Parts: sequence; C-alpha cells; structure tokens
Amino acid sequence: MGKEGYHGPLEKVDECCWRIPKSYKPGMRVDGLIFTDERLLEQLKKDQAPEQVANVAFLPGIQHASLAMPDIHWGYGFCIGGVCATDPKEGGVISPGGVGYDINCGVRLARSNLFYRDVKPHLRTLVEELFRQVPTGAGKSGRYHFRDKELRQLLNDGSQALVERDLASPNDVEHTEAHGVLAGADPDAVSDRAQTRGANQCGTLGSGNHFLEVQVVDHVFDENAASVMGLEKDMVCVMIHSGSRGLGYQVCDDALAMLRKAPEKYGIDLPDRQLACAPVDSPEGQHYIAAMRAAANFAWCNRQLLLHQAREVFAKVFGRSWEELQMSLVYDVCHNIAKFEEHEIDGQRKRVWVHRKGATRAFPPGHPEIPAQYRKIGQPVIIPGDMGRASWVLVGQPGSMQKTFGTTCHGAGRAMSRTAAVKDAAGRRIDKELEARGVIARAQSLRGLAEEQPRAYKNVDEVVDVVHRAGLSHKVARMRPIGVIKG
Amino acid sequence: MREPIKGLARLSSTATPWWRGSIDIMYETFEHTADLGLRIRAPDLDRLFDEAGQALFSAILEDPLSVKTSQQFEVRLGADSWENLLFDWLRELLYHFDGEHFVSGRFEAHVSDAGLTATVWGEPYDPDRHRLQHEVKAITYHALRVEHGDDGWLAEVIVDI
Repeated sequence: MGKEGYHGPLEKVDECCWRIPKSYKPGMRVDGLIFTDERLLEQLKKDQAPEQVANVAFLPGIQHASLAMPDIHWGYGFCIGGVCATDPKEGGVISPGGVGYDINCGVRLARSNLFYRDVKPHLRTLVEELFRQVPTGAGKSGRYHFRDKELRQLLNDGSQALVERDLASPNDVEHTEAHGVLAGADPDAVSDRAQTRGANQCGTLGSGNHFLEVQVVDHVFDENAASVMGLEKDMVCVMIHSGSRGLGYQVCDDALAMLRKAPEKYGIDLPDRQLACAPVDSPEGQHYIAAMRAAANFAWCNRQLLLHQAREVFAKVFGRSWEELQMSLVYDVCHNIAKFEEHEIDGQRKRVWVHRKGATRAFPPGHPEIPAQYRKIGQPVIIPGDMGRASWVLVGQPGSMQKTFGTTCHGAGRAMSRTAAVKDAAGRRIDKELEARGVIARAQSLRGLAEEQPRAYKNVDEVVDVVHRAGLSHKVARMRPIGVIKG
Repeated sequence: MREPIKGLARLSSTATPWWRGSIDIMYETFEHTADLGLRIRAPDLDRLFDEAGQALFSAILEDPLSVKTSQQFEVRLGADSWENLLFDWLRELLYHFDGEHFVSGRFEAHVSDAGLTATVWGEPYDPDRHRLQHEVKAITYHALRVEHGDDGWLAEVIVDI
C-alpha cells in the first residue's frame, strides 16, 4: 500500500485522537486531527494519508482542523476518511477532490419481517435471483432508461422523482439523507458526456467495492435504538453500497479539467494539484456545486432503483409483496459529498461547506435534519464492512458536532492493494471459502471476488470501536452477511 | 501500418528495467493502493500514446485481443503539456467506452507540440464477446508523468477503479 510511509509529527491528543500540528508545514492554516487508536496507528503510518491530511490544511477558508476518520487511507488529493469545512465568508473553497470521483457514493439498509431461519432454505435461490435481476459489473446497462427530460427530473429532484412512478415510497424518501435531494442542483451544469454515461446506468450496482448484500442482524448493542429502527436479532436485511455511476465520475472528471488553472487564477497555493479547488463564490466553484448536487441526486435514484429491484426479487422468491415482507428502508447515507451546513465553530454559528470524502454524516439526537422517527435516538449511520465478516449500524452522537462537523467513519478501508489481494487468493476459491462460512457470494468474475476478499480489508469492528469510544457515533447493531452479489 | 500488439505483458512493478527495444513489452500494470497503475514505454511519443491506449483497454478488458477493429473514430486534442495531453487522450478513450459503448483495440496517434491527432479502431461493446475486467471510473492526475530518457519515453498514469 502506498509508496512510502509517513514520517511527520503525530501528537497524541487523547486515546482516540492524534494531531499533526500546523507548524509541520508552512502554509498549513489549521492543525490536522486524526481519529484513531494505538492499534490502528501503525497501519495508518504506512502510506501518505497523514501527509494528505496536512495538505488539506492549506485550503483557503478551512475551519477548526483538517480531519480524518479511523478508516483513513490514501486517496487522490484528499485522503479517504477525510473531512474539512470551509467558510465562503473567509474565502473558503470547494474542492472536487474532497468529494471524490463517485459523488454521493453511499449505503442504504432495508429491513424485513423475515428471519434467518425463514431465509436459510431459500438462500441460494435468493442470491442467484438477485444476481440475475440486479445489473452488476462494469459496462452493465440497467433496465431503466430515462430520456432527456426524465433524466433532468432525476438530476433536479433526486429520489423524490421516483415516488410518482411507484419506484419509491414516501417512507423511502423520508428515510434518506437530505430526503434524497440536494436543492440547487442544475442539470445544465452536468455535461452531455456525463448525462450520456449515466443515462442507462441508473439502477445498476457497478463494480469494485460496490455490493448488494443479504445480511442478518448478528448482535444488538442498543435495544432501544434497534427497536426504533425496526431491527432485532436474526432479522434479515438488505444492504446496498453504490453511487452515481458513470455520471458522477464524469462530473468529477469535468470539474478537475475545468479547475486545472483555477488555483493560479485565484492565487491559491496548493501542495498537490489534486487538491484543485476554486472559491465557493467563483463561477467555477458555483458550476461544480450545481453539477455535484445533480450527481448526488442521481446517486440517490440509483440506490433507490437498486432497492426496488431487490424488493421485487424478495417478493418473487418468498411469494409475498415487499410491503407484506415489510421491507422498509431503515436509512440511506452518503459518504462522498460536500454539503452546506450550519455548525458552531469557536463559539460562533457558521454556515460552512463540509467535505466528506469516505466519511459519513452522524448527526446527534435532536438535530432538526433527522427524520422525526429517529430524532430521539440520533441519525442512523450505515457502515459497510467486508463480505465475510461484518457491517454496522450506528447512530450519531453529540461528540460528532463538537469534534468532526457531525461526521463519523464510512467503512473498513483496504488493507491490501487489488493486485496483492489477487496474489493472496492464488490457488484459493474465495466463493467456496465464503460458503464454508455461511455466505453465498456471486460476482461477475472470480478475480473480482479475489480483489474484494475479506482479508483485503481491515477489520471494520476496530474502526467502529474508535468512533464509538470517541463519542462520534454509538453502536446499535452488528450485521453479518449471508448473501453477496458484486460486479 | 503497425499491427496490434500480440499478447499482453504483465510484469511486476520491480521486474522491468528501462525499456530496451522489444515491442512485445511496452506496457505493464503496477500496484497502487486500491487502484491500478499503467506504465508505458516507447521509443517515441506517437508509440507512447498508442501503447497508452492499449494499456487502458488491457485494464478494462480481460482479453484486449477480443476487439475487432471494424469501425473507427478520430480524436483531436490541443496540448499545454505532455502530461495533460496523455490525460486528455485517455479520458477521451474512456468516455467512448463508458458513454458510447465503444471498445477500442488499435490506435494510431500523431503527437506534436500542437497536440494530438489520432485514429482509433474498435467496435461496439458486445457483452457476449468482451469480458470486462475492471470498471475504470476515471483517469487521475496522481503521479502522472511523461518523461524522455536515454532509451525513449516513459509514461505512468494511475486509473481509479
């Protein structure tokens, strides 16, 4: 992983937080703060991710600190697991590198009234049918084709546009971060190329680390919060991890090309060209924000259509409608996004652009943006792990507002490169190994499974343990995979 | 006119010295965190850009030789640096694949200080014949380099997958 390790300063703040002081590099406007623990610390020094935390501290208008979550690893410009907030009133910038190529990549969890004992005899049929019906893998077109006007509606209105087509329920929208739509999206800011790439990819899973999993609630840590979410031990759920597909990748790509000369134009000194950015109030900044919001809305439609297809498969396999199976959406979170939010910074209320790249919003109990059903327990946070061990359901805690602009981790993070994972799997059949552990997995290729094998990832339990102890979010339930489909 | 490269060279990142003139080994992949690096060597810039196209489709397709070169399109790009030109060339090819569903198998690029003109041959993507290996989301600027050495040109580019 990574070319070389990090040898700069890391000062212990407390059991769950380490500081890179702004004195480390001339040009850093704030400190870097990495949420981690002694156990994960050695791993994070193995690549240049901490250096990237320091580099982000150069961005004009950055507030409080350049932050990183415990699943930190190297990314393009910003590290994965990176969080930063910029204030437009202080010359703050917006940076596509702080969002990532897969705009509004995220995760959703739907429950059911089925339990493991009900599903186990039909598991293979269920997984095979999901693999047949849900488009997975690179280059796959979906069964939904949106013409120009329809696509514009998705880009404008997000998953709310799918309610009138009976592809989403009002509850689905209510239980989606930002109600499945970012206002201020402009379809005209999304290039023809981006729209062409996305036109027939809405409702497709994609490749890489994206997945659709059938999971079982393995252990409940907070009975009350689990009950409010409708979760109980041994219940069967569906977790979906995907994003804005080719449309979002192209929006990011277009923005990086547009911003090539922006740092020079606006006199912004950057230590890495991949931090390319523009002032929020500049024409370039406004253009990217409008396009990014549209791509985010598209991503919510994509995950909604994936859920719709999964519901249809469950209905077919179990002979009851999804409503009878009570397959309601627990929640949908995005973990690659920039949003304009209000936070208290140094005793002042400010509206800032919070960039979350591989990081998840985790608002605490009582926050007005949380759906009424969850307002007392805090915002549900869905953390995907690997296909052999676990994923997690958490809720946001007050510590997130005090320390991380209302943010927590997003996943396990890779421990091996794809090439190393394939080498590691040589002579093994990952699907057979998973089956021996009670997991039926289907992918477009054995190589894809090898790249995504459990050992290629860090243990998500350790990552979640840090954000729990740091008071950023609180453990509700651990989920165990039993069926996996991948690209 | 040059024939398409026969066979796909895959070497570890440390195995290959500077390119020594064998046209059978002109590109390779190398490890990079969660993504994939492409390293291309060629005696001149035209061939470097041809091979970069081949390298990209070796990452996308399980078997780049499965592509029939029955159709073609032209590419014209301006240049302000070799790195940006290589970046723009590869993103153009990627768009034709992911947006227009066109798989490319043969490339003839002419590179000058003014930019690039190229003809690209390939065919419409056919899922029954073209097995896909990786979903390349984007070409990245990270560690992007195009350099001239004593033995020719070297380019490295990392693609996001």
